[in-house]
Amino acid sequence: MLRGARAYLALVVLHFILIITISCRDIVWLVAHKLTILPSPFSAAAEKVEPIAAAALGDKLLPSNPFRRALLTYLHVAGIDRGYGYFAPNFPAGYKLVFELHYPDGRMEYELPGVNSGAAGLRVATLLDEIGRTRYDPLREYIIKTLAASVWREHPGVKTVRAVFGSLNLPSPAEFEHGKRESYDFLCAYDFSRAEEPAKVENP
Amino acid sequence: MAQWKERLRVFLFPPETDRWLGLLRIGLGLQVLFYALSLRADWNYLFAGPGEGLIGRALPEALLSTESPLIPRLGWLVMLTARTGFSEATALSIVWWVLLFAGCCLFIGFFSRASAILAWFVHLCAAESGGFISYGVDNFMTIGLFYLMLSPLPDRYSLDQLWRKLSPKDPQLIGFFRRVLQVHLCLIYFFGGLAKCLGTGWWDGSNLWRALIQPPFNLIAPEILIRLKYLFPLGGIVICLLEISYPIFIWDRRTRGIWLTCICMMHLAIGLTMGMYLFAFIMIVLNIAAFGPGLDFVWRDKLVRAAVS
Repeated sequence: MLRGARAYLALVVLHFILIITISCRDIVWLVAHKLTILPSPFSAAAEKVEPIAAAALGDKLLPSNPFRRALLTYLHVAGIDRGYGYFAPNFPAGYKLVFELHYPDGRMEYELPGVNSGAAGLRVATLLDEIGRTRYDPLREYIIKTLAASVWREHPGVKTVRAVFGSLNLPSPAEFEHGKRESYDFLCAYDFSRAEEPAKVENP
Repeated sequence: MAQWKERLRVFLFPPETDRWLGLLRIGLGLQVLFYALSLRADWNYLFAGPGEGLIGRALPEALLSTESPLIPRLGWLVMLTARTGFSEATALSIVWWVLLFAGCCLFIGFFSRASAILAWFVHLCAAESGGFISYGVDNFMTIGLFYLMLSPLPDRYSLDQLWRKLSPKDPQLIGFFRRVLQVHLCLIYFFGGLAKCLGTGWWDGSNLWRALIQPPFNLIAPEILIRLKYLFPLGGIVICLLEISYPIFIWDRRTRGIWLTCICMMHLAIGLTMGMYLFAFIMIVLNIAAFGPGLDFVWRDKLVRAAVS
């Protein structure tokens, strides 16, 4: 038998327990938030299970707790810090961010957050999903402001920038056949000016 | 209990050759190369410091620090390089070249272990500092490189082996790491499939339609896709069933070839129709390394025999 087999065995069991716990936590979260086809009694049960899964992964511990930090470090370095529900339970909504660039002479241009390659373009789409998903408004504003600053650097003559963020509505196959095309729902807008003033927020 | 322990031990430590490890190393080497080359034009723009680039790495790194200050990040490498007098932009470029170099070394098997550790570390730094711009491909690359650097390298196809004529590694240890990768893939597909089965959109095909027409994945014109609308429900159900049943059918020698082919075809289709080439490639590499070597196409042999008789 392989030398150190017991140690390998113990470590691998622990490793897979972590993977299973994280994956279960993600599934339970989906069920608890009524994002699945399961009926509401399942959601109620999942709501009870959710804190248990979170506690098992040290979520209830203080951020400075050494056990929590060690666990989180391991999850990140092993690439097992998140579950595998990609494009699940349903394909997520897409988002779009458009910048209106207002020049001092009254001119206006539109600009999208752009990159040079398709591979980086997929990453920008991920970033927009993140902005759309976050429920923490200051974080959303910070990210959009940072993106606006990157556009500003490309267009130094711009006086004000208005960032308009919206979600994408895709037609179903039947709707598409009847002529309906993709449309956008306005979610929020931010106005940024040259001076370091706080952004003016507009929500529907 | 003792019997179960023994069964587990037999399952986890099967004697294996290092063919799968060679495939994993070469595949991941190529993946690291493709990853680095695909981001070359945007590398500094994506991972710039505060006040520069697209979003910068300041916020993701600050958020990482709240989780744990020990999680690797690009800020460490930039700081280290900056100490020698290089600017931030030069430091980021050096990091990119290091990643490219590690990918090349991994591909040819030159200092395999050191290359695997270097590739894992530099990629992990980029993935973690990317934060909001990281997606599935980064996760799977971290998983693959993590297992690779721990596995008994070098393998027989590496330059290291040709040069240094090292003694062969313990077959059980080689088998153990293959098992770990195999079981991890089973968990990935099972939970991925389960999550998909819980959504209505995979049963009526709407998710497949949405996935193919939503920017930036819309490589095929919807006017062409609409002609295939009757296939979307079938496609959605097939994907769900293929993934959730992966842990069952991939172990049986009679069905392994079919499931492996179908899963690889699914990833190839994702890559070609949605432009997720890196994601498709890493998944195919992991699958082929884990379940490819020693594959018996029993169904193919049967078909050939039936045809001959």
